[in-house]
Amino acid sequence: MQRREFLKKAIKFFFSVLFISSSAVAGLFLYPSKIRKKQVRFFEVMKEEELPRRGVKKVVFQIPRGDHLINTRVFFVNNGGSLFVLSPVCTHLGCLVNWHRQKGEFICPCHGGRYSIEGKVLGGPPPRPLTRLPFKVEKGKVYVGLKV
Amino acid sequence: MGRIFDWIDSRFGIKEPHRRFLQRRLPERLSYLYCLGGVAFTLFLCLVFTGLLLSIYYVPSEREAFQSVVNITTEVRLGWFIRSLHRWSAHLFIVAILLHTARVIIHRAYRPPRELNWVAGSMTLVVAFASGFTGYLLPWDQKAYWATEVGTSMVATVPVIGRHLLYMVRGGEDITGATLTRFYSLHVLWLPLIMALLLWAHFHMVKRQGISGGL
Repeated sequence: MQRREFLKKAIKFFFSVLFISSSAVAGLFLYPSKIRKKQVRFFEVMKEEELPRRGVKKVVFQIPRGDHLINTRVFFVNNGGSLFVLSPVCTHLGCLVNWHRQKGEFICPCHGGRYSIEGKVLGGPPPRPLTRLPFKVEKGKVYVGLKV
Repeated sequence: MGRIFDWIDSRFGIKEPHRRFLQRRLPERLSYLYCLGGVAFTLFLCLVFTGLLLSIYYVPSEREAFQSVVNITTEVRLGWFIRSLHRWSAHLFIVAILLHTARVIIHRAYRPPRELNWVAGSMTLVVAFASGFTGYLLPWDQKAYWATEVGTSMVATVPVIGRHLLYMVRGGEDITGATLTRFYSLHVLWLPLIMALLLWAHFHMVKRQGISGGL
């Protein structure tokens, strides 16, 4: 091998190594160092007597996210005596679904996902039913458990 | 041109190599449809200018971002105007690029030897979308927050590495101040830089290859 050929190869090799290693360093640098595991925390949302006797009740409250509060909501459903709480987060891409009283369905405004009053998928892209959230009633107050 | 320009150019020498390009004859069949790319570029310049102005007052922090945007809109002199100009230019920028793309498709101007320029143009469109998406979070209000929540969650649907890509994009599990600074950096540094390089390549190839004969 001639000197020129060797130098060409050496330079090519040097810059390949430089490119790959700096990409790797940049990738490591950009990946978040701390990814907090989410924990269920209970939030007080309303009084016990405000629980719905029949149908769906939307409850809006605030949860902390980082340094500030964001609005969020859940649905309290009383369907023929069984009471449960549904998360409004569509299982497709995380839009917030709305309760459509006339149709008796939860409808996602983003891509038209439809869920029954029980949270089961009726149509559209959602892969799973709406998430049921834990809740508890203590001393006349209602608490909902959310992962934060 | 003027005496000052000539003084500079006699040392810098940028006029001569461009004379053939700037003073060439254009084909007669050109119509206003051929201006759409230029319209998009003008809007890009407008976005850069208004963006530079906005960045003087905008504070990319979790606590202050929203308030600083309110401040720009209500307190800063002509702030509402500059912000609206940025916003509307952004909307029209996308529209202009799409119309320009449609023109290129209709005239089949993507055919050889212009394939690479088509690729550069498509990448410009993607970068423009990315700029729009990252810019949407910066006002840091409820709409921005939830739009980004939904938009970034699409990343998680990538097989196998989706979760890690999501952490990379959001800077953690949730959309927090880390996401805001990430998006801010992308919006004001990375994407405009990439866009400038792409546009330089785009124009270089237009200059080299000339305007397509069309239909």
